[in-house]
Amino acid sequence: MNSPPGRATAPRRTPLPVLPFLLLLLLLLLLLLLPLAAPAAGITGRVALPAARTAPVMNQRYEIVSRAGVLATNPPLAVVYLEGDFPAPAAPATVSLPQKDFAFVPALLAIRVGTRVEFPNLDDTFHNIFSYSPAKRFDLGRYRPDEKPVPVQTFDTPGLVTLRCDIHEHMRGLVLVLPTPHFVLTAADGRYRLTGLPPGRYTLKVWLDSRTTLSRPVDLAADSALSVDFP
Amino acid sequence: MSKPEPQSSRSEPPAYTPTHALSSENPKSKIQNRKSLTYRTRLLLAFMLVVSAVTAGGLVLAERNLAAAFSRELERTFAAELGAQRRVQELRQAALAERCRALVRKPRIHAALEDGALDLLYPSAVDELRDIMAPTDSAAPGGLRAEFYRFLDRHGAVIAPPASFAAGALAPVETRQLGLPLAPDSPQLGFIVRAASGAPVSEIITTPIVSGESGEVIAALVLGFKPFSTAAPDPGRSLWLGGRLYFGDHSRAGDIARALSAPPTPGVGASLALDGVPHLLFQQPLNPGSLYPPAAEVNVYPLTAFLDRQRLLRWRILGAGGLLLLGGFAFSRILVNRLSRPVEKLAVDSAAHLAGRVRAEAALESTHEELQRAARFSADASHQLKTPVTVLRAGLEELLAHDRLVPAERESLAALVHQTYRLSGVIEDLLLLSRLDAGRLRLDLVPVDLAALIAASVDDLSALPDASGLTVETDLPSTLVISAERRFAALILQNLLENARKYNRPAGRLRLAVRTTADGVELTVGNTGRAIPAAAQARIFERFHRGAVGENVPGYGLGLNLARELARLHGGDLRLVRSADDWTEFAVTFRPA
Repeated sequence: MNSPPGRATAPRRTPLPVLPFLLLLLLLLLLLLLPLAAPAAGITGRVALPAARTAPVMNQRYEIVSRAGVLATNPPLAVVYLEGDFPAPAAPATVSLPQKDFAFVPALLAIRVGTRVEFPNLDDTFHNIFSYSPAKRFDLGRYRPDEKPVPVQTFDTPGLVTLRCDIHEHMRGLVLVLPTPHFVLTAADGRYRLTGLPPGRYTLKVWLDSRTTLSRPVDLAADSALSVDFP
Repeated sequence: MSKPEPQSSRSEPPAYTPTHALSSENPKSKIQNRKSLTYRTRLLLAFMLVVSAVTAGGLVLAERNLAAAFSRELERTFAAELGAQRRVQELRQAALAERCRALVRKPRIHAALEDGALDLLYPSAVDELRDIMAPTDSAAPGGLRAEFYRFLDRHGAVIAPPASFAAGALAPVETRQLGLPLAPDSPQLGFIVRAASGAPVSEIITTPIVSGESGEVIAALVLGFKPFSTAAPDPGRSLWLGGRLYFGDHSRAGDIARALSAPPTPGVGASLALDGVPHLLFQQPLNPGSLYPPAAEVNVYPLTAFLDRQRLLRWRILGAGGLLLLGGFAFSRILVNRLSRPVEKLAVDSAAHLAGRVRAEAALESTHEELQRAARFSADASHQLKTPVTVLRAGLEELLAHDRLVPAERESLAALVHQTYRLSGVIEDLLLLSRLDAGRLRLDLVPVDLAALIAASVDDLSALPDASGLTVETDLPSTLVISAERRFAALILQNLLENARKYNRPAGRLRLAVRTTADGVELTVGNTGRAIPAAAQARIFERFHRGAVGENVPGYGLGLNLARELARLHGGDLRLVRSADDWTEFAVTFRPA
């Protein structure tokens, strides 16, 4: 009763919080892909994902799990990306990776090198996101839910970055920093679709977990549509 | 001095004379005294022996009980003290372990180890461990503040901190002691020797760091602390490590270390004499099962205070025992005196009695012999006398029968004859008395009619010439049967009647009365005449006693004596009832048939 009205009415606790962010992500991807839309080629396929470790629950939320020191998402997801020489973006993109219900949402975030990532705190308590990963070391310090400006970090080095919270030791997030703007997260059944790809010879890679990255050379003709399945 | 019993002697035995008894008793009683003295001494000695033995036994028992109670108390005290120490230690270690567990869960440390950022390990740890690391200037006494910390990698080797880092200074020789063959999978407690630093020994807790990603032990955190409280150093408390003792009193460390078992085992150790003072030694392993070298807490307690108390108590017991002994002696002396007095008296008395009895027996024997002799003599004499008297009487009667005698001569002869009769009567009486005295008179008791006997006797009396003037009164039942021998009963009656006649006054009275009493049959014979003087009354029953009567009264003083002896022999008695105012009365009792 005496608590501030902002906390008492908590619309953040409504179910299905992931959906708007996924939509936002898709929107961003579309925005990224729009300039390249003209001569674009596409790759579709399916990545054979390992079985989920536990039975999926209704409110499916991806989390980072480790088995024998290998980080992956659960249920398993893969990131498919095209490696090659691509022109640098005019302006650095900005992505949001909020902490919600003591978890990173999404748990696995793929970004292009140079992307700024915001870390809004959507919980009621402090978070302290830091990373000791070689690809990106940073420490945001403690910040409140309503911290302004929202803590932000620019990821300049490709690689896998493990996000941790100094306060909540169980929190794990993965940021896969990729040297390419062409990447996509597979669906739960492993299907993916990469579109708007410029023609050329590339290497198509699939990040499965922190240890496993599959690759396959692809030769993309203009307006072609390839189908590549892994493995 | 007369003895009424027929069988007793006539005179007192010489042994009973007081002078004799005294003269014979004095040396004997001295001997008795000496004997009783030794008896008393012996009794006293026995009592003292018993008292001493009881006291000594009590002392030994008390001492043993006391010693047992003492050692029990000692063990209890030490056990309680050690238990309290151990609990404190356990609590402290639990708190330390908990802190270490909390520390090794820190995300930054995990991040540094898991995300390949070893360069950030110590810098991260310094933040996390800031509150547990002791400030350099404050010596927090035995608290939960660490002196240093190090990380071990997964192979148990020490990860060196950056050179300029405040992870607590450690010399290389000290650092080497932290390492383990492999990072442990459970917390390990150890102790290292601090050769270079101020504190001689540091306690280390090595806590494994388990990766949240792989679940493996990826490293370990070593935290160094001051081993137990050094704020108030207890000289008896020390730490055993690698065969040496740290803390505590250093001067005796060698001796104590030698007395310890290696590796130390828990519990009460041996007693140990240090500088001649016994000490009690306790050892308690501090890190059993640890991968680090074993260490133990060693407690050495001097028993001086306890021994002093024990000595004091022993003295008290001895004092109490001494007092008890003295009291016992005094008591036993009193008891001995009281006990020995009757015994001594008994001894003296019995000795006196013995002597007296011996004397009495001797006297009795001699008296008996004397008596026998006298009785025999009397009997012999009487017997020897009877014959001549009879012969004399026969001769005299023969002379009297002669016709030629002038009347004067005849009268003289008749008197002589009469005298012979008297003589033979005396002889008869003496014979009878001697037989009585010798105890050789056997009665042949038959029922005798006393009334008839009296009637006959009165008839005889009235026949006598000088009894003509007497008035004889009788008060008799018609028949009255008594148990007696007839001739002796007649003799008693005759003697009494004769006395009554003899001592009567002319024209006097004579009274005979018989009545039945509780004791038997009593016959009283009374007569008028001069009374017996009071002084003589007690002696009239003596032999040959004759009252102060004139010589004209016939008799020889045997009659009453004989009558009494005979009456007593019959189970009755003869006594003088009264003799005064012209009346003398005797009473004789008989047994009824």
